[in-house]
Amino acid sequence: MADPSVPLIEIQDLSKSYFNDGVETPVLFHLNLKIHKGEFVAIMGPSGSGKSTLMQILGFLDAHTNGEYIFQGEPTQALDDDALARIRATRVSFVFQAFNLLPRTTVLQNVMLPLIYHPTIPSGERQKRAERAIELVGLTPRTDYLSSQLSGGQKQRVAIARALVTNPDVIFADEPTGNLDSASGVAVMQALKKLNDDGHTIILVTHELGTAQHAKRIIRIKDGHVESDTSDFTRLNTESAHNLK
Amino acid sequence: MHLTDTFQSALKGITVNVNRSLLTMLGIIIGVGSVVLMSAIGSSMQGVILGQISSLGAKSMVIFPGSSEGGPSALGAGRDSLTFEDIRELEQLGTITTVAPIIYGAGPATYGKEESSAQIFGVTAAFFDNQNLPAIEGRLIDTSDVNGNRYVALVAPEARDKLFGQEDPIGKSIKVGSNHYTVIGVTKALGSQFFQSADNRIYIPYSVARQVTGQKYVNYVTMTATESFAVAIDDVKFLLRRRHGIKNPADDPKKDDFIVHSSEEAGQILGSVSLGLTLFITTIAAISLIVGGIGIMNIMLVSVTERTREIGLRKALGATHRDILLQFLTESVMLTVIGGLIGMVGGVALAVITASIVKNILATYVFAISLPSMIIAFLMAVITGLVFGITPAKRAAELSPMEALRYE
Ligand SMILES: Nc1ncnc2c1ncn2[C@@H]1O[C@H](COP(=O)(O)OP(=O)(O)OP(=O)(O)O)[C@@H](O)[C@H]1O
Ligand SMILES: [Mg+2]
Repeated sequence: MADPSVPLIEIQDLSKSYFNDGVETPVLFHLNLKIHKGEFVAIMGPSGSGKSTLMQILGFLDAHTNGEYIFQGEPTQALDDDALARIRATRVSFVFQAFNLLPRTTVLQNVMLPLIYHPTIPSGERQKRAERAIELVGLTPRTDYLSSQLSGGQKQRVAIARALVTNPDVIFADEPTGNLDSASGVAVMQALKKLNDDGHTIILVTHELGTAQHAKRIIRIKDGHVESDTSDFTRLNTESAHNLK
Repeated sequence: MHLTDTFQSALKGITVNVNRSLLTMLGIIIGVGSVVLMSAIGSSMQGVILGQISSLGAKSMVIFPGSSEGGPSALGAGRDSLTFEDIRELEQLGTITTVAPIIYGAGPATYGKEESSAQIFGVTAAFFDNQNLPAIEGRLIDTSDVNGNRYVALVAPEARDKLFGQEDPIGKSIKVGSNHYTVIGVTKALGSQFFQSADNRIYIPYSVARQVTGQKYVNYVTMTATESFAVAIDDVKFLLRRRHGIKNPADDPKKDDFIVHSSEEAGQILGSVSLGLTLFITTIAAISLIVGGIGIMNIMLVSVTERTREIGLRKALGATHRDILLQFLTESVMLTVIGGLIGMVGGVALAVITASIVKNILATYVFAISLPSMIIAFLMAVITGLVFGITPAKRAAELSPMEALRYE
C-alpha cells in the first residue's frame, strides 16, 4: 500500500511524562526511531527504563507528551478518538505480558473479539478468520475452552491469535514470554517468528537476550534514552557470550 | 460495530458474571417491589376509607343524642334527649326525608341450642333506604311490619352464620331477649363501619323494639337531605332546639343536647385520614427506592474495577467511545428493565397475598394497585441503574486504553 521508503513507524524527539495528581514523572526523553515494514525488532533495557511506556505509545494505547509520532507517513498528533480507535482496530495489535483475555469467555470468542470492532471485515467471516488464527498458534484443540482453563503459554498464544486475527500492519508484544516457562516461551516466540516470516512487522519487548535473538534488530533503552540500536548480530553474539561469562 | 454485536456484547456482559447481574437486579427488584407493595397497600386502604364514605350514603345525615363531647361514642349510651315526638316532627320537615329512628341494644339471641350475642336494631323501612342495604335472601322489614307490631327479624350475615350455620334461616323462629321472632330475611354484608363489624346484627321492627325495651327515646336517627346539607342541618337544629328549649344563637355545639353529622363532613374527615395515609406510604416508598438505589449503586461501583479493565481491553482492540457506551447502556437497560419488571410482578404478588390476609381482619380491604406509583418506581429504578451503570463506563471510556487497563 505505502511507499516502502516511508517508515512504518517514525518518532521524532518524542518525550513522555506521567502525571499523577500533578506530580510529573518523566520517563522518555527526546527519542528518535524509524521502524520499517517487515522488521522484527526487540526492545531491551533494564527494568523501569521505559520500554513498556514506549511500546504503549507506539501501539496507540497511550498518548505521548511531546514530539512527533508519524505512523505510515501520517502524523498522529491531530487524530481524534475515533481515528485512533480505527487504527487500533485495523492497523496495530498488542500482546500484553498479562495476557488480558476476557474472563469466563472461550478461546474462540476471545479471538473473535477484535473483529466486532473492525469496520470492514464482514461478520460472516469472523469465525473462519478466528479459527485460522487459532490454528496458526497451534490451539485448534482448545478452541472451545474457557480462558481460565488454559496454561499461561496457551493464554499467550490466544492473545497472539487475537492480535493477528485482524491482519494488522504491526504487532506489539510487551514481554510476551515474561510470565512463561522456557518451553512455552519458545512456542510463543516461534509463533511470532512465523508471523514475521509471513511479512508481519513485529515489535517486542524482552529481558532475555535469547528471546531477543529471534529478532533482526535490537534497540536498547536506558533511563528513557536509546542506548543502542543495532542489527549487527556478530557483536550481539559476542556480547551474549560475554554475558554468560 | 453492528447493533447485533452491541446487543450480544451486552448480553455477554450480563451472563458472564451472573452473580453481579443478579445482585444489581436485586437492588432494583427490592426497590421497585417494595414501592409497588407499599403503594398497593395504600390504595387498598384508600379503598377501605372510600368504602366507609360511600356506605354512609350520598346525602345521608345522622342525629345522635348527647353533646358534642360525647361524639359518636354516645351511641347506645342511654342518652335520652331524642324523643318519639321529636321524630314525628322531624318527619314533617321538607328538607329531609326517610327519617329513620333507631333503637339499639345488644343481647343474646338463640336458635335451637345455638346462642350468640348480637347487636339488636329496632328500625323502620327507611333505615334500609338510608343505608342502601338490600336483602340477599327473603325480604326487608317494611312499613306493615312496623305498623302491625309484627315479631319478625332480619339477620345480617355474621349473625346468620353464628345462629344458623349452613341452615336456611327463613321462616325459622329465633329468641331474642324473652321474645320469639320469625326470621324473614338476610341482609347484604355491610363490612365494617367506622372500623367495626356491622354484620353481627339482628334487625326487628322499630315498634316492636319500643314495646319490648319500654324505651322512651331513640338511640339515633338517620335521614337523607333532600336539598343541601347546610339547609337541612339548620332546619334540624332549629327544630330540636325549639323543642328542647335550647337557646343557642351562636351555634355552639356544646350547648346542644344532640349532634348532627352529615356524610359530607364524615367524608372530609376520612379524606384527611386518607391523605395522611398517602403521605405516610409515599414516604416509605421513597425510602425503599433510595435503599434500592443505593444497592444498585454499590454493586455497579464494586464491579467498576473489573469493568474498567474490560473497557481498556476493548478500547485496545479498537472499540470506540460510542461502542463502549452503547454496550454498557444496553447492558444497564436490560438489567434494570428485567429487574424492574420482576420487582413489579413481585410487588403485585405480595400485594395480592397481603390483601388475602388482611381481608380476614378488614372485610372491605380489597387488592388494589396504584399504576402511577408503579410507573414512577419503575422509571426511578431504571434511571438509577442507567446512571450508575453508565457513569463509570463513560468515565472509563474517556481514559486512554492503557489508563483503563492499569486501573485498580
Ligand atoms: N502510570 C504511571 N504513572 C507514573 N509513573 C509510571 C507509570 N507507569 C510507569 N511509570 C514509570 O515509568 C517508568 C518506566 O516504566 P515502564 O513500565 O515503561 O518500564 P519498563 O522498561 O517496561 O520496565 P519493566 O522492564 O520492569 O517492565 C518507571 O519508572 C515507572 O515507575
Ligand atoms: Mg514493562
